[in-house]
Amino acid sequence: MKTPFAKLSPFQVDPEKIMDTFGINDGDFEKASDNEKESMVETHKSISYWKDAWRRFRSNTVSMVALFVFLCCLFFAFVGPYLIPYNYSDQYRTAQKLGPFEYSPGEEIAHSIEKSVDGLYSTSMRPGSITALPAGDYAITAGKKTYAFTLDKPIDNCMIVLDLDEAEPLRIVNEADVRDGAYTNYTPIAFTDTPAEGAAQLKFSKRIFPHVFGTDSAGRDIMARTMYGARVSIIIGVIAALIVLIIGSLYGAISGLCGGAVDFVMMRIVELIYSIPEVLVVLLLQVVLKEPLQMWFQAHSETSAFVRAMSDLGAGIVSIFITFAVLYWVTMARIIRGQVLMLKKQEYVTAATALGASNSRIIRKHLLPNCIGPLVITTCLQIPSAIFLESFLSFLGLGVSAPMASLGSLCSDALQTIQLYPYRLVFPAIILTIIVLTLNLVGDGLRDALDPRLKK
Amino acid sequence: MGSYILKRIVGSIFILLLIMVVTFLLMNAIPGSPFLTEKSTPEQIAMAEAKYGLDKPLHIQLWNYIKSYLKGDLGTSLKMQEGTPVKDIIFRQGKFILSIKLGIYSLLLAILVGIPLGCLAAYFRGSWLDGCLRVITTVGVAIPGFVLAALLLIAFSVKIPIFPTKSGNLPNFKSYVLPVISLSSYYTCYIAKLMRTSMLDAINQDYIRTARAKGVKTRSIILKHALRNSLIPVITYLGPVTAGIITGSFVVESTFSVPGLGKYFVQCVLSRDYPIIMATTVVLSALVIIMMLVVDIVYKIVDPRITLTAKED
Repeated sequence: MKTPFAKLSPFQVDPEKIMDTFGINDGDFEKASDNEKESMVETHKSISYWKDAWRRFRSNTVSMVALFVFLCCLFFAFVGPYLIPYNYSDQYRTAQKLGPFEYSPGEEIAHSIEKSVDGLYSTSMRPGSITALPAGDYAITAGKKTYAFTLDKPIDNCMIVLDLDEAEPLRIVNEADVRDGAYTNYTPIAFTDTPAEGAAQLKFSKRIFPHVFGTDSAGRDIMARTMYGARVSIIIGVIAALIVLIIGSLYGAISGLCGGAVDFVMMRIVELIYSIPEVLVVLLLQVVLKEPLQMWFQAHSETSAFVRAMSDLGAGIVSIFITFAVLYWVTMARIIRGQVLMLKKQEYVTAATALGASNSRIIRKHLLPNCIGPLVITTCLQIPSAIFLESFLSFLGLGVSAPMASLGSLCSDALQTIQLYPYRLVFPAIILTIIVLTLNLVGDGLRDALDPRLKK
Repeated sequence: MGSYILKRIVGSIFILLLIMVVTFLLMNAIPGSPFLTEKSTPEQIAMAEAKYGLDKPLHIQLWNYIKSYLKGDLGTSLKMQEGTPVKDIIFRQGKFILSIKLGIYSLLLAILVGIPLGCLAAYFRGSWLDGCLRVITTVGVAIPGFVLAALLLIAFSVKIPIFPTKSGNLPNFKSYVLPVISLSSYYTCYIAKLMRTSMLDAINQDYIRTARAKGVKTRSIILKHALRNSLIPVITYLGPVTAGIITGSFVVESTFSVPGLGKYFVQCVLSRDYPIIMATTVVLSALVIIMMLVVDIVYKIVDPRITLTAKED
């Protein structure tokens, strides 16, 4: 194969010479083997969209701190109730109107001897309107052992104490007999291992816990209520945001994809809803929906698990969801429509169409992945706004109803006694603010991470 | 321009009509009668309903509402102040004026404080001032209005009694301070944030560099070139602000015991005084819609590039 260059004009350079000069062999023109080809492939892995976003998000200190604080709030709201011995709805007769970190008198006494005994049950810490333990059969469990005993007469202001080191481990101690962390006088209880038929179960207190946020006028622990309220508020926020996500994105996508007359009509509807001052309608809706919803719950809660779940939430919360489904999806719809319209005009979509890609393929491969950023961001920022609206409605007395609590209703309850007990407002208000603040910051971080073009 | 405004006015009237219809339907969807009490007999209810025309078919009731509204007659109260014309309740008894006063002062405060703060933050970007402002505005948009109202109430009227706990009819300057601050704080912070972003955007534009190269003073660059161009997003936001301030007044009025329209509206909804609910909804909606219209027109004056007749996006 040395002939092709046989005839050269004087101005042409002889390729042989060039090959000699640069040290190129004939072998260099051989086809590459598979091995050689493989070694040419880039060795580092391609970074997926989410990994890349997570990397950007991680480098954003503010958002990471906010995410951490928000996770702490989630822990507070969802795990916290299992860590403290109080329930959000239990009313403790003797523990009304306590300040932060205070004990009721009974708890104070129980707390003072708590360390020296193995188990303790105090009648003053019974939830409900009666503090006395009525006469009857009881069973109380400590570890694996069950103690069954019978009370001949009701006991009041007393503690049932388990002291395993003593000869008579189970005893009744009168609160009046406790001095300086020890009790001077006690009545032993005779017990058996097998509880009698219909014996009431009692539980030894885990640890005597102070009322960290104080208690309200009905003797309910405010920290337990705040935890519960935070949980309710977060759940409402998430569900409402999901509702907005589903309705808004579908509506926006249909409007953007169809275009033409469909788009025109759909967007006029959006504009109309947009210009209605929604809170006026929300207030009306709240009142309107309450009774029909309750009737609906009563009629169907037997047959349908969905309705039962709804009725557990209560009419107030369900009507908040309905409000979001009716009025609050418009922003999402606008954003998604804008995104779809923009993407539709992109060259790569035109190219895909020209190559014969079907509509569903274009939606799946091009439109959806490009819409995910705005979808996630808008949904994330929708959660705090839903929490805002819920707390606003609860504040006006329309959202959740007692004994259920949300952060808004707690604030509103606290406002009535604000002059005497300002801390009752401060704690739920701070939690509410922290949740909204961190969600906003996380949302901003997500925007920077998922859609770097938007970053200013 | 003229034809655009006309079109928008017609559109606004249509929206108001629609709001009337929706409100009417919602009011009537509440089960039972507004006159239903524990003591009332069916005859008494029927009599009361006949007196106020509530026994007529729905479409006739609705038509009556629309007819009387066109004549400027807002009907008479059913329950809250029985027999008093609604117009008197809203306008003469000062409720509307109180709410409007609170609203306007809050709006002014939000604009007059928010815009300069945003400009300052943008101008001194990266400095400690910017950092402080960013923290304040970020926290400011996360505190619900009623929480701030309550906290201000504890701090400045209970613990340090500078301001009255009950603002009442807003007799003096002191009584305005706390309600207006709590009503406007969210919007002040939001406007400051918005202003900072759009100001930064404007400062980095070529025409600013040109102006600087020409030797124009920094102050007039900011005031004449950058400010004007960065005001547009803020102006767009003023429509929702108006709606929000009206809403916020519900809470602030009840916290500071101001007998305004917002507080009254909630009471009316709960006691189902139909004519007042309808009138309040229409009046407040009209206010929001007019504000949106004004915003769109101001928009055009500030930025002549925007063509009003073309559809958005």
